[in-house]
Amino acid sequence: MSPQTTQMFEFTLAALLTLCIFSYLYRDNPFYRFAEHIFAGISAGYYAGLIWHAVIVQQLWVPITHEGTFSLFVPGILGALMFTRFFDRISFLSRISIAFVVGNTAGISIMQQLHGYVLPQVSDTITGLETSGTWYALVGGWVIFAGVVTTLLYFYFSKEHKGALGVTARIGIVFIMVSFGAHFGYTVMGRVSLLIGRMQFLLRDWLGLIN
Amino acid sequence: MASRVAEFLSSIDRRYIFLLISLSVVFPLIFKFPLPVAISPETQALYDRVDSIPDGSTVMLTFDYYPSTLAETEPMSIAALKHLWRKNMKIVTMSTVGLGGPSIAERVMATMAKEFNRTYGIDYVNLGYKANYTAVLLGLGTSFRAIYPTDFYGTPLDSLPMMQNVDKYGDLKFIYIVSDNGIVDYWVGLANAQFGASMGAGVTAVMAPKFYAYVRAQQLVGLLGGMKGASEYEFLVGSEGMATAGMGAQSMVHLTIIGLIIIGNFAYFWGRRRR
Repeated sequence: MSPQTTQMFEFTLAALLTLCIFSYLYRDNPFYRFAEHIFAGISAGYYAGLIWHAVIVQQLWVPITHEGTFSLFVPGILGALMFTRFFDRISFLSRISIAFVVGNTAGISIMQQLHGYVLPQVSDTITGLETSGTWYALVGGWVIFAGVVTTLLYFYFSKEHKGALGVTARIGIVFIMVSFGAHFGYTVMGRVSLLIGRMQFLLRDWLGLIN
Repeated sequence: MASRVAEFLSSIDRRYIFLLISLSVVFPLIFKFPLPVAISPETQALYDRVDSIPDGSTVMLTFDYYPSTLAETEPMSIAALKHLWRKNMKIVTMSTVGLGGPSIAERVMATMAKEFNRTYGIDYVNLGYKANYTAVLLGLGTSFRAIYPTDFYGTPLDSLPMMQNVDKYGDLKFIYIVSDNGIVDYWVGLANAQFGASMGAGVTAVMAPKFYAYVRAQQLVGLLGGMKGASEYEFLVGSEGMATAGMGAQSMVHLTIIGLIIIGNFAYFWGRRRR
């Protein structure tokens, strides 16, 4: 089979599966479910193969058997303990592994969030007020400052939202709504882009109707 | 009369709307109409930063995306590659997404290497995928070889000429992230905040609003947001590709959706007033 024929076969298969998924827009049907099940099955199989090769073989089996890195027995055993959840009598052993994962993840996440998000963003919110740049950068700095403060006050629930707190909380809602609008607009753009990508595939790669 | 129109609009079958959206995509793709490209400051900043890197430097380009978002992300990778290779840079690629990431990197790099006449191991290296992205991103700050003893094809890094002097973020001039998920948070929080790596990102439109804050705080030097960002970068690189080709359809669908929102609101409020 020539490479062109193989490619055309692949394109046709992908195009038919795309059309099967699109058929759901009309109504639920066996073609859609067929494509959906194929996708779920292939994804699960791909992941199983990937994890087996990239984690078990590359990061555990090969280093232990070929390079003598016996310290990897420790994470290996911790990983194996996760499977004790399937056996009621010894399922408590899985908590050791879970405790390790939770502690590890919490430690890394705290540092990552603090150094990468909270501190730089708080710093930028403050320093944005004394910008030496253009006037609209200064206005932008003040808008962001107002947005951060009023939104935080909206999420302050230890006092009833009345009076000055009520007013600032309502301003906070406006900022939150603007944020939702921006996210929604971008989401629409993103989803439309995916549709365009599929249409480009169908019209260009498969049917050859466009360049 | 108006109330009957409002009632009709309220009861219209949603499948007609799907059809209308489909036509709004297909017609501009077939009957092309070019639109002017306005460059956003975030895209320009990313382009300028990459342009300022000395020729021949070693940089990293990530393929942190799934095949499902290729329409937005692949044009970014291609445009970035064109920019980087026109400046004769050495490129290390990797992926934190197992499902498709490394093979997308392999396909895109091989295609572009052919176009630019680049050689694997000398001009670019594909590190592939390793599970547990937090450990990977932290580990790369101190030793590439500890995390990736071999590349995607099982070749030891020490035997690849390009990797002789590359073993940590500090050996890279820039990290160009292309992603469709929250991994950018980890790149910024781990590689930038803890190791001072200079980076910029191209992300899907869904993710973009969150990451503008990083640009403002100068944690990212620039940002490409969705297909629009990709088309802007294609324009700056001077090589209009799939993203630019899709922008006509994008604009047409947006106009259609704006029209539908206005009509839908008219039908809703008029119907409520009648009740």
